[in-house]
Amino acid sequence: MTAHDAMLDDVAVYALGAMTAADAARVEEHLRTCAQCRSEYAQLRPTIGALAYAAESCPDETQGAIVAGPLLKARIMREIRRDAAAPPAANVAEMRAVRPIVWPAYAVAAACLAIALFNGIINISLNDQVRQSRTEVAQVATQNRRLLQELAHQRVALADLVAPDSEHYAVDHGEVVRHGKRLYLAMDAMPPPPKGKVYQAWTLHRGATRMSPSVTFVPNPKGVAVIPIPVDASSVAAVAVSVEPDGGSKQPTSTPTFVLKLSS
Amino acid sequence: MVEDAARLMAHVRSKDAAAFEALYDGYHRLVYGVAMRMLNDVAAAEDVTQAVFLKIWSAPQLFQGGNFAGWLVRMTRNRALDLLRSKSYRQEELPQTEPAGEMLEDAAFAHIDADLVRSALAQLPAEQRDLIELGFFGGVTHEEMSRRTGIPLGTIKTRIRAGLRKLRGTLQEAVAV
Repeated sequence: MTAHDAMLDDVAVYALGAMTAADAARVEEHLRTCAQCRSEYAQLRPTIGALAYAAESCPDETQGAIVAGPLLKARIMREIRRDAAAPPAANVAEMRAVRPIVWPAYAVAAACLAIALFNGIINISLNDQVRQSRTEVAQVATQNRRLLQELAHQRVALADLVAPDSEHYAVDHGEVVRHGKRLYLAMDAMPPPPKGKVYQAWTLHRGATRMSPSVTFVPNPKGVAVIPIPVDASSVAAVAVSVEPDGGSKQPTSTPTFVLKLSS
Repeated sequence: MVEDAARLMAHVRSKDAAAFEALYDGYHRLVYGVAMRMLNDVAAAEDVTQAVFLKIWSAPQLFQGGNFAGWLVRMTRNRALDLLRSKSYRQEELPQTEPAGEMLEDAAFAHIDADLVRSALAQLPAEQRDLIELGFFGGVTHEEMSRRTGIPLGTIKTRIRAGLRKLRGTLQEAVAV
């Protein structure tokens, strides 16, 4: 083997990228002056480039290759998109170079003031929107609580109405139901009250001589109404319903549609 | 793919994120595969992959045409060698990093695929293949190869050259078919 053959071997190792910096520098120096070695290098170098494909990871792990984690792309693209959204620094520099505009101080101050005012208006508007949103959220929450309470009450009422130990007293267009300490009007096919009028319930407490006003109500279009009477049923001796002006009365102003005496 | 890469790189220069994503989809397996082969560490290979692609985005002008994959691999290999140096994984001297601006890779093997290269490598005598893989993927200098294997330095170099020439011939035949 000649000295130059040995140098050709060195060129191959250099092309592979398997030389220390010092050895590489020696080969580079030689390449500058030796056409044959430059040709050898030029022939081998593409082969080295192709060699990398032997390590290319395969998208199918079942083939035994290792693939990059799925989060890697997301991580890289997040940075790319963030940078893509910002104006390139070079472009900004170019724009400044092309149009070297010098703004007078008063113009800058006016612009700053305008921006500050604009931001202030935007902030006020946003604050209003936030306040309004909070109010709406609070209202919805209150409404939800009310609906849930109504639902709970209806479930209790339903359970009371169908309880085997509940007491049912028939009245015109319905019945009065007592279950433990709870009392209900369960009306059906009840005619609607005259315009400007409502039905009002009355309770007579044991030992009392006068009826006490209770809830007012209007049956639905089918004449149905299930009305819990807010009273301790065990203390009530009688129940009545009358037609009263909207808003109710302190004492009956019309002949009751019914008066029911409860058993003790 | 070379033409595609050049076209996509032109868009990347205009900060086109979609073009960048297409490049990533097309080449990340190559970059990650080389990094993984060299570092044998998932986190480190991902770091190298990320660094290489972010470099493509931040300095696309570094690619001045030619074989994009070859340029990419050189960047990857250099980055992996830098990492090996910074982490002091190994005590011996590592190969020098290659100039990023070199564009010697021609388009001859631009359309080559992994199976073809693996097949060509498999056809090499083990004594050549092992040294070539050790040098390229292992980041091991020929002197270190000699120390590790006990094979004389001259023999190491001769085998590397013979292996590379044979590999080139096999690949040329495969591409020509």
